[in-house]
Amino acid sequence: MAPADTIAQLQQQQSLLTQALRAMLEGNWCGAPPSVQAFVDALNPALHPTCVPPYRQSDEDAPPEPPPEHYFDPNAEQISQIYNWTCSACSLEWLLRAYDASYGSDIYSNRESCTYDIGYPSNINPTYGLMDGSGAQLRRVFEERTGASTAQGWLTFDQAWSIARAGNGGMCSGGAWYHWCGIRGTDGDTIWISNSAPGYQSVWNNLSRLDWSRLGPFSCVWVLP
Amino acid sequence: MTEEEQAQITQLQVQQSYLTQAMKAALESRWVGEDSVEAWLLAIDPSLQGELQPNPPAYP
Repeated sequence: MAPADTIAQLQQQQSLLTQALRAMLEGNWCGAPPSVQAFVDALNPALHPTCVPPYRQSDEDAPPEPPPEHYFDPNAEQISQIYNWTCSACSLEWLLRAYDASYGSDIYSNRESCTYDIGYPSNINPTYGLMDGSGAQLRRVFEERTGASTAQGWLTFDQAWSIARAGNGGMCSGGAWYHWCGIRGTDGDTIWISNSAPGYQSVWNNLSRLDWSRLGPFSCVWVLP
Repeated sequence: MTEEEQAQITQLQVQQSYLTQAMKAALESRWVGEDSVEAWLLAIDPSLQGELQPNPPAYP
């Protein structure tokens, strides 16, 4: 490399270091530019720092975070389904219960109520299960009972994992799996699920990238923050 | 190496010494005032005068 090029590179790095220092002084530690993390990434993309911001003087004056409008319990219990066509209703009832918005204390009775709310037999029935594989009716019932908003998409594994990681819960269904489950969150590099048919197609409590590939395409419904 | 290149390297060396001083100040929790991160940043880039909005870490 010619001296002029080396100098130019050093000047650019010096500039990034200066900007990182400014970000430190101004309390912008993590996330998108202009943060310390972003400038360190620009200096050396191989470092991948785990950003742990310090408590800042501005945090002392900040009002306490309001409690979430809709509380989600990812550990809510799931029990096995009795009828083989009710996986979508079981998943929806679990998600409602995880949001403290189910019908009563008896899960089986809740599932029956859920089935009727989805729309028996036009939207869900013993012949086909849930008629609209995108989950539109599940979204409708969930939104009506909780007041929360949801979104839907046919997602890649990485997209679904990122959404699950956000921690608001959801549901998903694989086309080749022909089965709905709830989304609790993530567990390592897998999606942690609530499964009313544990073991079906060799899936218990986790969906791996390999499962996603062999059982897809997956439609996901997730709760917006 | 040309004279201009030599001058650029000298400037980089000075800036690097200021950056090092600023890092030391950060480590010693001097974010504003004399011999602070803010002071050394202004020495590196005087155009930042009046632009900085310190929000330093709070110490117990």
